[in-house]
Amino acid sequence: MGAEGTGPNVAASNGHLVVLDKVTKSFGATTVLTEIDLAVSKGEAIVVAGPSGSGKSTMLRCINALETIDSGEIFFDGKAISAAGKGIYRLRAEIGMVFQQFNLFPHKSVLQNITLGPTEIRELSRKDAEDRARKLLERVGIPEKADAYPVDLSGGQQQRVAIARALAMEPKLMLFDEPTSALDPEMIREVLDVMRDLARSGMTMIVVTHEMGFAREVCDRLVFIDEGAIVEQGPPEEFFKSAQSERARDFVDKIIHH
Amino acid sequence: MQLWQVLIDNFPRFRDGFLVTCQLVGVSFVIALGVGLVIAGLRVQPLRSLKWVGAVYVEFFRNIPLLVLLFISFAGLRRAGINIGAFAAGTGALGLYTAAYVAETVRSGVFAVGRGQVEASLSIGFTYPQTLRRVVLPQAVRTVIPPLGNITIAMIKNSAIIGAVLAIAQDILKEARLINARTFQTNEVFFWAAIGYLILTVTATVAVRYLERRLVIRR
Ligand SMILES: Nc1ncnc2c1ncn2[C@@H]1O[C@H](COP(=O)(O)OP(=O)(O)OP(=O)(O)O)[C@@H](O)[C@H]1O
Ligand SMILES: [Mg+2]
Repeated sequence: MGAEGTGPNVAASNGHLVVLDKVTKSFGATTVLTEIDLAVSKGEAIVVAGPSGSGKSTMLRCINALETIDSGEIFFDGKAISAAGKGIYRLRAEIGMVFQQFNLFPHKSVLQNITLGPTEIRELSRKDAEDRARKLLERVGIPEKADAYPVDLSGGQQQRVAIARALAMEPKLMLFDEPTSALDPEMIREVLDVMRDLARSGMTMIVVTHEMGFAREVCDRLVFIDEGAIVEQGPPEEFFKSAQSERARDFVDKIIHH
Repeated sequence: MQLWQVLIDNFPRFRDGFLVTCQLVGVSFVIALGVGLVIAGLRVQPLRSLKWVGAVYVEFFRNIPLLVLLFISFAGLRRAGINIGAFAAGTGALGLYTAAYVAETVRSGVFAVGRGQVEASLSIGFTYPQTLRRVVLPQAVRTVIPPLGNITIAMIKNSAIIGAVLAIAQDILKEARLINARTFQTNEVFFWAAIGYLILTVTATVAVRYLERRLVIRR
């Protein structure tokens, strides 16, 4: 199931949207990712799991070039990210990212949060952008919050606005970095429901989460990372039942028994 | 009443002086805010050389007395064959001087904007300059409205130095000195001059309060 030998051409022909090819990343003397190989097909939803500090966030951040990698290559839609140069900004617009801390713009209303990108980058008219934003708010279940400010929303609502903001750019790929970890338990469901619908609509998604119910129900594949390396990957159900490595079994035990 | 008589007798001069001070302050304010924002931008963007330009600007204008700047901008430039006139020299010097303080204040506001905001903006597809302009600076400026208000009030008061130095800027202070030279009613004349400045500084204070209420970011 690995991504061995997937060069850019192979990536394109196999319908892979994202390919990580021996990606290595260090901060100073600490190597955080070691020769990561990973290929994600169009329309696939994968969950990335692993202990704290294993490099999950760093991997996501490398994919949309918030971090630069030391060696290897990342291909998005057949193009090498390191070769994008100034095009990196256009590329990022194709990749939506949802953060643990929501990171909504506090000085802008919900509607403005969602229309900012489309009007400035996609050069949509204000009206078209607002129509799109209202449809997205409908989709994430909070159409009545268009004129509210982030501070007026619950965490779950803020995260749904953040998802709508990312979707407004019509991305080809959505990255989620522990989108429910900062939420009170009663709000986790509403965010996961939105993500599940998104996955079912065919969006390609890479989701870092500890929500194993979500992984089981929604995701095609689970990728287990430990100490900066992919230890194993496969269908979530199989992973829970019969993880091969000891570290993965430990992880499953902890997740299930806590 | 002596006090009122002085005002009534010299009202046209007081009024003209007040209007000139308004213009000095208005133009200096625009320069200070515009240049200050640009310099703050230079100081927080990633390129080292541009950062350095911003730092040199701030240190230069913060560490030279305004009075010296005024002499340079007016007499100095004129001696060098560049005559920009008293008004431009005065507002230029006061605006650029104040801009250094604006830049430092806005910069502190920028650092108060979280890293997550920048990353959210970049991940939408904004460039660094767009991120600065659309996401970071608007938040930074909002958080520093109160200190910017203090800088503005200091600038209004500093504008009196222009009238004290430059021969042809007929601001409140200059008019007051002229009236005083004629009438010798020193206390009354400068009382009204002080009132003129108070009108401006109190207006600025009220405006800052209003902006604070309107724009403050609830978190
Ligand atoms: N900017 C940085 N500078 C230095 N070290 C960093 C930086 N970002 C992350 N690290 C280190 O890299 C390692 C991996 O971090 P990362 O955030 O990717 O882990 P994670 O798997 O997302 O963990 P968590 O589950 O806690 O979010 C950690 O040891 C972390 O301390
Ligand atoms: Mg993380």
